[in-house]
Amino acid sequence: MISILFFGRLGDFAKNAPRTVKASTPAQIRELLTIKHPALAKELSQPQVLVSVNQMIVGWEQPLMDGSEVAFLPPVTGG
Amino acid sequence: MDSIRIQTHDFNLAEEYQFLRELSPAVGAVVTFTGLVRDFELDSSIDSLSLQHYPGMTEILLQEIVDQANLRWNLIATTVIHRVGELLPRDQIVFVGVASQHRADAFQAAQFLMDFLKIKATFWKQVSQDGEHRWVENKESDTDAATRWDIKND
Repeated sequence: MISILFFGRLGDFAKNAPRTVKASTPAQIRELLTIKHPALAKELSQPQVLVSVNQMIVGWEQPLMDGSEVAFLPPVTGG
Repeated sequence: MDSIRIQTHDFNLAEEYQFLRELSPAVGAVVTFTGLVRDFELDSSIDSLSLQHYPGMTEILLQEIVDQANLRWNLIATTVIHRVGELLPRDQIVFVGVASQHRADAFQAAQFLMDFLKIKATFWKQVSQDGEHRWVENKESDTDAATRWDIKND
């Protein structure tokens, strides 16, 4: 299983979304979410949203391993 | 010697300065920056600010920024502190302190660290305005500020 995290405003869209999925890439997770969580999937399609796997920024086609942690990151606003 | 701390509690500016000052007799310059919570966002006053971050990844990203600064300038020590959780207007939110032999290194590195912290580090601000919660949008001016350092941003 893959664990998934949503940060910032993405968390508001993900209140009822699953936190574990079976998927082979982050792009596939987004695809799976379009069925039951279309608003969230649309937010994830925004070009500014970055994805990380095991706390490293990667591309959407990064292969996932069982136990990977995938996080969806909207533009950061710290400082 | 670098220190990166993410914490809910406040920090003491005098103590942080004193630490950098006393670290080595080679220290000839200490530059510190402190960011505070403003009482407005998009021309509206705010009641409070909530800061979320990605534990683990935030520390990794901040360390990468500090490493870049160390490669670029001759630094003796760097301290980066960022608060998370619930904050109020006027609260201290972020601290960057740099100690070096000469002032140019400390001045430039402090600005570099803040510029990249703003666009890279995984923090997200949510403001409370009249009982409504709203996530803060990123600012183009922050992205522009980082471009001056001639490093690829993504």
